[in-house]
Amino acid sequence: MPLTDNQIGALIYRSGLFMDEENFDGFMQLCASDFRYQITAYSPELGKEMIWLNLDREGMEHLLKNIPNHVRLPGSFLRNLNVYLMEPQQANGDVHVTSSLLVIHTDLEGASRLYAAGMYIDDVVLSSGSPQLKSRTVKLATRQLGPGSHVPL
Amino acid sequence: MSRSAHEWTARPRLQDDEFVSSTVYTHPGIFELEQERIKRATWKFACHESELPTRFDFRTVEHAGYPIVLVRTEEGGIRAFINSCSHRAATVVRAPRGNAEQWRCLFHAWTYDTRGRCIAMPRASGYEQAGLCKDGMGLREVKVGIKLGMIFINLNDEGSPFDEYFGDAFEILEDVMGTKELEVFHLHKTVINANWKQWFETNMEIYHEYLHFLNRNIAMSNDEFYERRWKIYPNCHGTLTPMKQRYERVKGLGRRDERTLPGLTPGEFRVVDLFPDTTILCRATVLRIDTSNAISPNQTLVEQRGLGIKGESAEDRLIRINHHNQFWGPFGRNLPEDVVAVEAVEKSNRCGASRYGIMARHDEMKSLDDALMRAFYKEWSEYMGRPASNPLGALPGETNAANR
Repeated sequence: MPLTDNQIGALIYRSGLFMDEENFDGFMQLCASDFRYQITAYSPELGKEMIWLNLDREGMEHLLKNIPNHVRLPGSFLRNLNVYLMEPQQANGDVHVTSSLLVIHTDLEGASRLYAAGMYIDDVVLSSGSPQLKSRTVKLATRQLGPGSHVPL
Repeated sequence: MSRSAHEWTARPRLQDDEFVSSTVYTHPGIFELEQERIKRATWKFACHESELPTRFDFRTVEHAGYPIVLVRTEEGGIRAFINSCSHRAATVVRAPRGNAEQWRCLFHAWTYDTRGRCIAMPRASGYEQAGLCKDGMGLREVKVGIKLGMIFINLNDEGSPFDEYFGDAFEILEDVMGTKELEVFHLHKTVINANWKQWFETNMEIYHEYLHFLNRNIAMSNDEFYERRWKIYPNCHGTLTPMKQRYERVKGLGRRDERTLPGLTPGEFRVVDLFPDTTILCRATVLRIDTSNAISPNQTLVEQRGLGIKGESAEDRLIRINHHNQFWGPFGRNLPEDVVAVEAVEKSNRCGASRYGIMARHDEMKSLDDALMRAFYKEWSEYMGRPASNPLGALPGETNAANR
Protein backbone atom coordinates (compact mmCIF):
# COMPACT_ATOMS: atom_id res chain seq x y z
CA MET A 1 0.00 0.00 0.00
CA PRO A 2 1.46 3.39 -0.92
CA LEU A 3 2.21 5.94 1.74
CA THR A 4 -0.45 8.54 2.33
CA ASP A 5 0.22 12.25 2.55
CA ASN A 6 -0.99 12.19 6.14
CA GLN A 7 1.47 9.45 7.09
CA ILE A 8 4.33 11.30 5.48
CA GLY A 9 3.41 14.65 6.98
CA ALA A 10 3.11 13.07 10.43
CA LEU A 11 6.57 11.55 10.05
CA ILE A 12 8.20 14.83 9.08
CA TYR A 13 6.52 16.85 11.80
CA ARG A 14 7.17 14.20 14.42
CA SER A 15 10.86 14.12 13.48
CA GLY A 16 11.04 17.85 14.19
CA LEU A 17 9.15 17.49 17.44
CA PHE A 18 11.41 14.70 18.67
CA MET A 19 14.51 16.76 17.93
CA ASP A 20 12.98 19.79 19.69
CA GLU A 21 12.36 17.60 22.72
CA GLU A 22 15.82 16.06 22.39
CA ASN A 23 14.08 12.72 22.30
CA PHE A 24 16.90 11.25 20.25
CA ASP A 25 15.79 7.64 20.69
CA GLY A 26 12.39 8.63 19.39
CA PHE A 27 14.00 10.37 16.42
CA MET A 28 16.15 7.37 15.56
CA GLN A 29 13.09 5.11 15.66
CA LEU A 30 11.75 7.18 12.77
CA CYS A 31 14.87 6.41 10.72
CA ALA A 32 15.53 3.45 8.45
CA SER A 33 18.44 1.10 9.09
CA ASP A 34 20.37 2.67 6.20
CA PHE A 35 19.53 6.24 7.27
CA ARG A 36 21.85 9.03 6.18
CA TYR A 37 21.92 12.58 7.49
CA GLN A 38 23.61 15.64 6.00
CA ILE A 39 23.75 19.34 6.62
CA THR A 40 24.86 21.38 3.63
CA ALA A 41 25.31 25.05 2.84
CA TYR A 42 26.43 26.93 -0.23
CA SER A 43 29.48 29.14 0.09
CA PRO A 44 29.31 32.22 -2.15
CA GLU A 45 32.93 32.89 -1.22
CA LEU A 46 34.09 29.52 -2.57
CA GLY A 47 31.36 29.03 -5.16
CA LYS A 48 30.86 25.52 -3.78
CA GLU A 49 28.37 23.45 -1.87
CA MET A 50 29.78 22.58 1.54
CA ILE A 51 29.00 19.58 3.71
CA TRP A 52 28.82 20.57 7.36
CA LEU A 53 27.70 17.23 8.74
CA ASN A 54 27.56 13.83 7.04
CA LEU A 55 26.55 10.82 9.08
CA ASP A 56 25.23 7.33 8.56
CA ARG A 57 22.86 5.81 11.09
CA GLU A 58 25.65 4.57 13.35
CA GLY A 59 27.45 7.90 13.21
CA MET A 60 24.25 9.73 14.05
CA GLU A 61 23.67 7.45 17.02
CA HIS A 62 27.20 8.05 18.37
CA LEU A 63 26.85 11.77 17.95
CA LEU A 64 23.47 11.94 19.68
CA LYS A 65 24.61 9.68 22.49
CA ASN A 66 27.56 11.96 23.26
CA ILE A 67 25.60 15.21 23.32
CA PRO A 68 25.23 15.19 27.14
CA ASN A 69 29.03 15.07 27.41
CA HIS A 70 29.45 18.43 25.71
CA VAL A 71 29.34 21.99 26.97
CA ARG A 72 26.45 23.32 24.93
CA LEU A 73 24.68 26.48 23.94
CA PRO A 74 22.17 26.89 26.77
CA GLY A 75 18.49 27.00 25.84
CA SER A 76 16.29 25.12 23.44
CA PHE A 77 15.48 24.90 19.76
CA LEU A 78 12.07 24.90 18.13
CA ARG A 79 11.81 23.71 14.54
CA ASN A 80 9.03 25.24 12.51
CA LEU A 81 8.31 22.99 9.53
CA ASN A 82 6.12 23.28 6.50
CA VAL A 83 5.86 20.36 4.11
CA TYR A 84 5.83 21.79 0.61
CA LEU A 85 6.13 18.80 -1.71
CA MET A 86 5.65 15.02 -1.54
CA GLU A 87 6.86 13.41 -4.74
CA PRO A 88 6.53 9.62 -5.12
CA GLN A 89 9.51 8.12 -6.93
CA GLN A 90 8.33 5.63 -9.52
CA ALA A 91 11.55 3.66 -9.49
CA ASN A 92 11.50 2.48 -5.88
CA GLY A 93 8.31 3.70 -4.26
CA ASP A 94 10.17 6.15 -2.01
CA VAL A 95 8.68 9.56 -1.50
CA HIS A 96 10.85 12.63 -1.92
CA VAL A 97 9.69 15.29 0.56
CA THR A 98 10.64 18.96 0.54
CA SER A 99 9.91 21.05 3.62
CA SER A 100 10.88 24.50 4.78
CA LEU A 101 12.66 24.79 8.10
CA LEU A 102 12.97 27.66 10.53
CA VAL A 103 14.85 27.01 13.75
CA ILE A 104 14.16 29.33 16.66
CA HIS A 105 16.46 29.38 19.65
CA THR A 106 15.15 30.37 23.07
CA ASP A 107 17.76 31.18 25.68
CA LEU A 108 17.53 30.65 29.42
CA GLU A 109 16.19 34.16 29.91
CA GLY A 110 13.29 33.32 27.62
CA ALA A 111 14.46 35.41 24.67
CA SER A 112 13.78 33.82 21.29
CA ARG A 113 15.50 34.57 18.02
CA LEU A 114 15.66 33.06 14.58
CA TYR A 115 18.65 30.74 14.60
CA ALA A 116 18.59 29.19 11.15
CA ALA A 117 16.56 29.01 7.96
CA GLY A 118 16.71 26.23 5.42
CA MET A 119 15.01 23.23 3.89
CA TYR A 120 14.62 19.59 4.77
CA ILE A 121 15.08 17.36 1.75
CA ASP A 122 13.91 13.93 2.89
CA ASP A 123 13.50 10.53 1.32
CA VAL A 124 10.80 8.49 2.99
CA VAL A 125 10.37 4.73 2.67
CA LEU A 126 7.70 2.30 3.78
CA SER A 127 9.12 -0.17 6.25
CA SER A 128 7.06 -2.79 8.11
CA GLY A 129 3.92 -0.87 7.34
CA SER A 130 5.07 2.52 8.59
CA PRO A 131 6.96 5.36 6.94
CA GLN A 132 10.61 5.92 7.88
CA LEU A 133 13.25 8.48 7.03
CA LYS A 134 15.76 6.98 4.64
CA SER A 135 17.73 10.19 4.33
CA ARG A 136 17.58 13.78 5.47
CA THR A 137 19.54 16.62 3.98
CA VAL A 138 19.29 19.95 5.76
CA LYS A 139 20.05 22.59 3.16
CA LEU A 140 20.88 25.68 5.15
CA ALA A 141 20.38 29.21 3.89
CA THR A 142 21.78 30.54 7.16
CA ARG A 143 25.55 30.28 7.41
CA GLN A 144 26.19 32.35 10.50
CA LEU A 145 25.08 30.16 13.35
CA GLY A 146 26.48 31.89 16.41
CA PRO A 147 28.22 29.33 18.57
CA GLY A 148 27.09 26.49 16.32
CA SER A 149 25.20 23.51 17.65
CA HIS A 150 25.96 20.07 19.01
CA VAL A 151 22.43 19.02 18.18
CA PRO A 152 21.69 18.35 14.51
CA LEU A 153 18.97 20.56 13.07
CA MET B 1 38.37 32.18 51.10
CA SER B 2 36.19 34.65 49.26
CA ARG B 3 37.42 38.19 48.69
CA SER B 4 36.05 41.64 49.55
CA ALA B 5 35.41 44.30 46.90
CA HIS B 6 38.74 45.90 47.73
CA GLU B 7 40.58 42.62 47.44
CA TRP B 8 38.73 41.72 44.23
CA THR B 9 39.60 44.98 42.49
CA ALA B 10 43.14 45.30 43.82
CA ARG B 11 45.99 44.79 41.42
CA PRO B 12 46.93 41.11 41.51
CA ARG B 13 50.13 40.33 43.38
CA LEU B 14 51.73 39.10 40.22
CA GLN B 15 54.37 40.24 37.79
CA ASP B 16 53.10 42.74 35.23
CA ASP B 17 53.15 40.16 32.47
CA GLU B 18 51.23 37.57 34.48
CA PHE B 19 47.85 39.27 34.21
CA VAL B 20 45.95 41.64 31.97
CA SER B 21 43.34 44.23 32.78
CA SER B 22 39.91 43.22 31.52
CA THR B 23 39.73 46.65 29.86
CA VAL B 24 41.98 45.29 27.11
CA TYR B 25 38.85 43.42 26.03
CA THR B 26 36.15 45.98 26.73
CA HIS B 27 37.33 49.57 26.32
CA PRO B 28 36.23 51.31 23.08
CA GLY B 29 39.34 53.49 23.02
CA ILE B 30 41.59 50.47 23.35
CA PHE B 31 39.68 48.78 20.57
CA GLU B 32 40.12 51.69 18.17
CA LEU B 33 43.79 51.94 19.03
CA GLU B 34 44.25 48.21 18.38
CA GLN B 35 42.67 48.56 14.98
CA GLU B 36 45.12 51.31 14.10
CA ARG B 37 48.30 50.13 15.79
CA ILE B 38 48.00 46.35 15.49
CA LYS B 39 45.43 45.24 12.95
CA ARG B 40 46.29 47.84 10.33
CA ALA B 41 50.00 47.59 11.04
CA THR B 42 50.70 43.85 10.85
CA TRP B 43 50.36 41.04 8.32
CA LYS B 44 46.89 39.54 8.17
CA PHE B 45 45.76 36.26 6.62
CA ALA B 46 43.26 37.22 3.91
CA CYS B 47 42.43 34.05 1.99
CA HIS B 48 43.96 30.96 0.38
CA GLU B 49 45.35 30.87 -3.14
CA SER B 50 42.82 28.19 -4.11
CA GLU B 51 40.11 30.82 -3.70
CA LEU B 52 41.50 32.66 -6.74
CA PRO B 53 42.70 29.85 -9.00
CA THR B 54 42.65 31.54 -12.40
CA ARG B 55 43.68 34.90 -13.75
CA PHE B 56 41.28 37.75 -13.05
CA ASP B 57 39.61 35.78 -10.25
CA PHE B 58 38.89 38.08 -7.34
CA ARG B 59 37.87 37.75 -3.71
CA THR B 60 36.60 40.44 -1.41
CA VAL B 61 37.32 40.35 2.30
CA GLU B 62 37.25 42.78 5.18
CA HIS B 63 40.18 43.63 7.38
CA ALA B 64 40.21 46.00 10.35
CA GLY B 65 37.04 47.61 9.06
CA TYR B 66 38.44 48.16 5.57
CA PRO B 67 36.93 46.49 2.49
CA ILE B 68 39.65 44.72 0.52
CA VAL B 69 39.65 43.16 -2.94
CA LEU B 70 42.29 40.60 -3.92
CA VAL B 71 42.84 39.57 -7.50
CA ARG B 72 44.82 36.99 -9.46
CA THR B 73 46.59 39.12 -12.03
CA GLU B 74 47.01 38.42 -15.70
CA GLU B 75 50.60 37.37 -14.90
CA GLY B 76 49.48 34.94 -12.20
CA GLY B 77 50.44 36.96 -9.13
CA ILE B 78 48.16 38.33 -6.45
CA ARG B 79 47.44 42.00 -5.84
CA ALA B 80 45.22 43.62 -3.25
CA PHE B 81 43.53 46.98 -2.99
CA ILE B 82 41.29 48.84 -0.62
CA ASN B 83 37.93 48.19 -2.23
CA SER B 84 36.79 51.77 -2.16
CA CYS B 85 36.23 54.02 -5.16
CA SER B 86 38.68 56.91 -5.45
CA HIS B 87 35.77 59.18 -6.34
CA ARG B 88 33.18 59.01 -3.55
CA ALA B 89 34.23 55.91 -1.62
CA ALA B 90 31.57 53.43 -2.71
CA THR B 91 32.59 49.81 -2.44
CA VAL B 92 33.67 48.98 -5.98
CA VAL B 93 33.56 45.16 -6.02
CA ARG B 94 30.54 43.92 -4.14
CA ALA B 95 30.51 40.18 -4.82
CA PRO B 96 32.46 37.87 -2.49
CA ARG B 97 34.13 36.25 -5.49
CA GLY B 98 34.10 36.40 -9.27
CA ASN B 99 36.15 36.93 -12.37
CA ALA B 100 36.54 40.26 -14.12
CA GLU B 101 39.17 42.20 -15.99
CA GLN B 102 37.66 45.49 -14.95
CA TRP B 103 35.71 46.71 -11.97
CA ARG B 104 33.15 49.42 -12.50
CA CYS B 105 31.85 51.36 -9.53
CA LEU B 106 28.07 51.15 -9.44
CA PHE B 107 27.68 54.73 -8.23
CA HIS B 108 29.21 56.96 -10.94
CA ALA B 109 30.86 54.38 -13.20
CA TRP B 110 34.50 55.11 -12.45
CA THR B 111 36.25 51.97 -13.66
CA TYR B 112 39.45 50.24 -12.57
CA ASP B 113 41.59 47.46 -13.98
CA THR B 114 43.14 44.64 -11.96
CA ARG B 115 46.32 46.63 -11.54
CA GLY B 116 44.30 49.18 -9.62
CA ARG B 117 44.50 51.80 -12.36
CA CYS B 118 41.54 54.06 -12.94
CA ILE B 119 40.80 53.46 -16.62
CA ALA B 120 37.54 55.31 -17.08
CA MET B 121 35.73 58.34 -15.68
CA PRO B 122 32.57 59.21 -17.56
CA ARG B 123 32.91 62.67 -19.16
CA ALA B 124 36.36 63.11 -17.69
CA SER B 125 36.69 66.60 -19.22
CA GLY B 126 34.55 67.89 -16.39
CA TYR B 127 37.46 67.39 -14.02
CA GLU B 128 40.02 69.23 -16.16
CA GLN B 129 39.42 72.58 -14.52
CA ALA B 130 40.19 71.00 -11.12
CA GLY B 131 43.32 69.41 -12.56
CA LEU B 132 42.11 65.89 -11.84
CA CYS B 133 42.61 63.05 -14.27
CA LYS B 134 42.28 59.30 -14.08
CA ASP B 135 46.04 58.75 -14.00
CA GLY B 136 46.19 59.97 -10.43
CA MET B 137 43.01 58.28 -9.23
CA GLY B 138 43.91 54.61 -8.94
CA LEU B 139 42.86 52.36 -6.09
CA ARG B 140 44.95 52.26 -2.93
CA GLU B 141 47.16 49.20 -3.21
CA VAL B 142 47.78 46.96 -0.22
CA LYS B 143 50.93 44.92 0.34
CA VAL B 144 50.64 41.19 -0.30
CA GLY B 145 52.75 38.29 0.95
CA ILE B 146 52.20 34.63 0.08
CA LYS B 147 53.42 31.63 2.02
CA LEU B 148 52.42 27.98 1.50
CA GLY B 149 49.34 29.04 -0.45
CA MET B 150 48.21 31.45 2.25
CA ILE B 151 47.74 35.04 1.14
CA PHE B 152 48.49 37.75 3.68
CA ILE B 153 47.92 41.49 3.38
CA ASN B 154 49.34 44.46 5.22
CA LEU B 155 47.74 47.90 5.25
CA ASN B 156 50.93 49.46 6.53
CA ASP B 157 53.23 50.35 3.64
CA GLU B 158 56.07 50.92 6.10
CA GLY B 159 55.49 47.75 8.13
CA SER B 160 57.89 44.84 8.53
CA PRO B 161 58.76 42.99 5.32
CA PHE B 162 56.71 39.80 5.05
CA ASP B 163 59.62 37.34 5.41
CA GLU B 164 61.09 39.27 8.31
CA TYR B 165 57.74 39.47 10.11
CA PHE B 166 57.07 35.73 10.02
CA GLY B 167 60.66 34.44 10.05
CA ASP B 168 60.65 30.68 10.64
CA ALA B 169 57.15 30.53 12.08
CA PHE B 170 55.92 28.32 9.25
CA GLU B 171 58.66 25.71 9.63
CA ILE B 172 56.39 22.91 10.88
CA LEU B 173 53.94 23.60 8.08
CA GLU B 174 56.41 23.45 5.19
CA ASP B 175 55.85 19.73 4.56
CA VAL B 176 52.12 19.77 5.31
CA MET B 177 51.23 22.73 3.13
CA GLY B 178 54.14 22.89 0.74
CA THR B 179 54.29 19.38 -0.72
CA LYS B 180 50.95 19.06 -2.46
CA GLU B 181 48.60 21.76 -3.61
CA LEU B 182 45.80 22.31 -1.10
CA GLU B 183 42.37 23.80 -1.55
CA VAL B 184 39.67 25.18 0.69
CA PHE B 185 36.55 23.03 0.95
CA HIS B 186 34.99 24.66 3.99
CA LEU B 187 34.50 28.29 4.87
CA HIS B 188 32.21 29.60 7.50
CA LYS B 189 31.94 32.80 9.45
CA THR B 190 30.18 33.52 12.65
CA VAL B 191 29.82 36.53 14.90
CA ILE B 192 30.62 35.75 18.50
CA ASN B 193 29.90 37.97 21.48
CA ALA B 194 33.47 38.25 22.66
CA ASN B 195 36.63 40.23 22.05
CA TRP B 196 38.91 39.10 19.22
CA LYS B 197 41.80 38.45 21.63
CA GLN B 198 39.66 36.17 23.77
CA TRP B 199 39.06 34.10 20.67
CA PHE B 200 42.75 33.97 19.80
CA GLU B 201 43.55 33.00 23.38
CA THR B 202 41.70 29.72 22.82
CA ASN B 203 44.51 28.86 20.43
CA MET B 204 47.31 30.17 22.65
CA GLU B 205 46.65 28.21 25.81
CA ILE B 206 45.98 24.54 25.73
CA TYR B 207 44.63 23.71 29.16
CA HIS B 208 41.18 24.93 28.18
CA GLU B 209 41.04 21.47 26.57
CA TYR B 210 39.36 20.48 29.85
CA LEU B 211 36.36 22.14 28.21
CA HIS B 212 36.31 19.72 25.30
CA PHE B 213 34.91 16.24 25.73
CA LEU B 214 36.75 15.00 22.66
CA ASN B 215 40.11 16.53 23.59
CA ARG B 216 39.96 15.24 27.15
CA ASN B 217 39.74 11.76 25.70
CA ILE B 218 41.93 11.83 22.63
CA ALA B 219 44.64 14.24 23.81
CA MET B 220 44.70 14.94 27.54
CA SER B 221 44.66 11.26 28.37
CA ASN B 222 48.21 11.00 26.93
CA ASP B 223 51.33 11.99 28.89
CA GLU B 224 52.68 13.34 25.63
CA PHE B 225 50.05 16.07 25.80
CA TYR B 226 51.72 17.62 28.87
CA GLU B 227 55.30 17.18 27.72
CA ARG B 228 54.98 19.24 24.55
CA ARG B 229 56.79 22.55 24.57
CA TRP B 230 55.96 25.96 23.25
CA LYS B 231 58.32 27.54 20.79
CA ILE B 232 57.98 31.27 20.47
CA TYR B 233 59.41 33.01 17.42
CA PRO B 234 60.32 36.67 17.01
CA ASN B 235 57.25 38.88 16.58
CA CYS B 236 55.30 36.52 18.82
CA HIS B 237 54.32 33.68 16.56
CA GLY B 238 54.22 30.34 18.33
CA THR B 239 54.00 26.59 17.92
CA LEU B 240 53.72 23.55 20.13
CA THR B 241 55.65 20.34 19.71
CA PRO B 242 53.50 18.08 17.48
CA MET B 243 51.79 15.14 19.18
CA LYS B 244 49.80 12.04 18.28
CA GLN B 245 46.14 12.15 19.22
CA ARG B 246 44.17 8.95 19.87
CA TYR B 247 40.97 9.47 17.94
CA GLU B 248 39.97 5.85 18.43
CA ARG B 249 39.38 6.52 22.12
CA VAL B 250 36.03 8.14 21.34
CA LYS B 251 33.60 5.76 19.74
CA GLY B 252 32.48 7.03 16.38
CA LEU B 253 35.56 9.13 15.58
CA GLY B 254 37.40 6.29 13.86
CA ARG B 255 41.15 6.50 13.30
CA ARG B 256 43.33 8.89 11.36
CA ASP B 257 45.96 6.50 10.12
CA GLU B 258 45.30 6.89 6.42
CA ARG B 259 45.06 9.86 4.09
CA THR B 260 47.29 11.91 6.38
CA LEU B 261 48.42 15.21 4.92
CA PRO B 262 52.03 15.30 3.66
CA GLY B 263 54.57 15.07 6.46
CA LEU B 264 52.06 14.11 9.13
CA THR B 265 52.13 10.76 10.89
CA PRO B 266 48.90 8.95 11.86
CA GLY B 267 46.92 10.99 14.36
CA GLU B 268 49.49 13.81 14.40
CA PHE B 269 48.40 17.22 15.62
CA ARG B 270 50.23 20.47 14.89
CA VAL B 271 49.36 24.06 15.65
CA VAL B 272 50.88 27.38 14.57
CA ASP B 273 49.74 30.72 16.00
CA LEU B 274 50.49 33.84 14.00
CA PHE B 275 50.38 37.21 15.72
CA PRO B 276 47.93 38.79 16.05
CA ASP B 277 44.91 36.69 15.12
CA THR B 278 45.48 33.66 12.88
CA THR B 279 45.96 29.99 13.74
CA ILE B 280 46.68 26.99 11.54
CA LEU B 281 45.78 23.61 13.00
CA CYS B 282 46.49 20.20 11.49
CA ARG B 283 44.58 17.13 12.64
CA ALA B 284 46.42 14.42 10.69
CA THR B 285 44.11 14.33 7.69
CA VAL B 286 42.76 17.83 7.60
CA LEU B 287 43.88 21.39 8.11
CA ARG B 288 42.07 24.43 9.46
CA ILE B 289 42.92 28.10 9.10
CA ASP B 290 41.26 30.18 11.78
CA THR B 291 41.23 33.96 11.68
CA SER B 292 39.01 36.76 12.90
CA ASN B 293 37.90 40.30 12.28
CA ALA B 294 37.19 42.55 15.20
CA ILE B 295 33.82 44.28 14.87
CA SER B 296 33.67 46.02 18.24
CA PRO B 297 35.21 45.43 21.66
CA ASN B 298 32.70 42.67 22.35
CA GLN B 299 31.91 41.35 18.89
CA THR B 300 34.19 39.36 16.62
CA LEU B 301 33.64 37.80 13.24
CA VAL B 302 35.38 34.43 13.35
CA GLU B 303 36.28 32.95 9.97
CA GLN B 304 37.35 29.35 9.56
CA ARG B 305 38.52 27.38 6.58
CA GLY B 306 38.99 23.66 6.13
CA LEU B 307 41.53 22.46 3.55
CA GLY B 308 42.20 19.21 1.73
CA ILE B 309 44.37 18.10 -1.16
CA LYS B 310 43.48 19.57 -4.52
CA GLY B 311 42.44 16.96 -7.07
CA GLU B 312 41.92 14.12 -4.59
CA SER B 313 39.14 11.59 -5.19
CA ALA B 314 35.59 12.34 -4.09
CA GLU B 315 35.84 9.47 -1.61
CA ASP B 316 39.01 10.87 -0.01
CA ARG B 317 37.58 14.34 0.08
CA LEU B 318 34.43 13.18 1.84
CA ILE B 319 36.45 11.38 4.50
CA ARG B 320 38.52 14.50 5.01
CA ILE B 321 35.37 16.62 5.26
CA ASN B 322 33.96 14.21 7.83
CA HIS B 323 37.15 14.41 9.87
CA HIS B 324 37.00 18.20 9.68
CA ASN B 325 33.39 18.25 10.83
CA GLN B 326 33.96 15.98 13.80
CA PHE B 327 35.74 18.86 15.55
CA TRP B 328 35.25 22.01 13.53
CA GLY B 329 32.58 23.89 11.66
CA PRO B 330 29.23 25.00 13.11
CA PHE B 331 28.25 21.41 13.90
CA GLY B 332 31.66 20.25 15.06
CA ARG B 333 32.03 19.06 18.64
CA ASN B 334 34.70 21.58 19.66
CA LEU B 335 33.84 24.89 18.05
CA PRO B 336 30.56 25.50 19.92
CA GLU B 337 32.30 24.75 23.21
CA ASP B 338 35.01 27.34 22.56
CA VAL B 339 32.38 29.95 21.67
CA VAL B 340 30.27 29.25 24.75
CA ALA B 341 33.41 29.59 26.92
CA VAL B 342 34.68 32.88 25.51
CA GLU B 343 31.19 34.39 25.56
CA ALA B 344 31.01 33.48 29.25
CA VAL B 345 34.27 35.41 29.80
CA GLU B 346 32.97 38.40 27.88
CA LYS B 347 29.79 38.48 29.97
CA SER B 348 31.85 38.84 33.15
CA ASN B 349 34.22 41.40 31.71
CA ARG B 350 31.59 43.53 30.00
CA CYS B 351 30.78 45.85 32.88
CA GLY B 352 33.83 45.27 34.98
CA ALA B 353 32.52 42.45 37.19
CA SER B 354 35.86 40.84 36.54
CA ARG B 355 38.89 43.10 36.54
CA TYR B 356 41.78 40.91 35.52
CA GLY B 357 42.69 37.87 33.48
CA ILE B 358 45.37 35.68 34.98
CA MET B 359 48.16 34.28 32.79
CA ALA B 360 50.51 33.13 35.51
CA ARG B 361 50.99 29.44 34.79
CA HIS B 362 54.67 28.54 34.46
CA ASP B 363 55.65 25.06 33.40
CA GLU B 364 59.07 25.25 31.75
CA MET B 365 57.47 26.18 28.43
CA LYS B 366 55.49 22.95 28.43
CA SER B 367 52.02 22.87 26.98
CA LEU B 368 50.22 24.10 30.12
CA ASP B 369 52.52 27.11 30.40
CA ASP B 370 50.93 30.50 29.68
CA ALA B 371 54.14 31.52 27.92
CA LEU B 372 52.59 32.32 24.56
CA MET B 373 49.80 34.31 26.20
CA ARG B 374 52.36 36.36 28.10
CA ALA B 375 54.41 36.85 24.95
CA PHE B 376 51.27 37.92 23.07
CA TYR B 377 50.44 40.62 25.61
CA LYS B 378 54.04 41.77 25.75
CA GLU B 379 53.92 42.24 21.99
CA TRP B 380 50.48 43.83 22.27
CA SER B 381 51.81 46.26 24.89
CA GLU B 382 54.67 47.28 22.62
CA TYR B 383 52.40 47.95 19.65
CA MET B 384 49.91 49.78 21.85
CA GLY B 385 52.44 51.80 23.84
CA ARG B 386 50.81 50.81 27.13
CA PRO B 387 50.92 47.77 29.37
CA ALA B 388 48.15 45.22 29.06
CA SER B 389 48.09 45.06 32.85
CA ASN B 390 47.06 48.72 33.07
CA PRO B 391 46.28 50.02 29.60
CA LEU B 392 44.14 52.99 30.56
CA GLY B 393 46.69 54.71 32.72
CA ALA B 394 48.22 56.32 29.69
CA LEU B 395 45.09 57.28 27.77
CA PRO B 396 44.95 61.09 27.47
CA GLY B 397 42.52 62.66 29.93
CA GLU B 398 41.46 59.39 31.47
CA THR B 399 42.14 57.55 34.65
CA ASN B 400 41.61 53.96 35.59
CA ALA B 401 38.77 54.91 37.91
CA ALA B 402 36.98 56.98 35.30
CA ASN B 403 36.97 54.17 32.86
CA ARG B 404 35.79 51.31 35.01
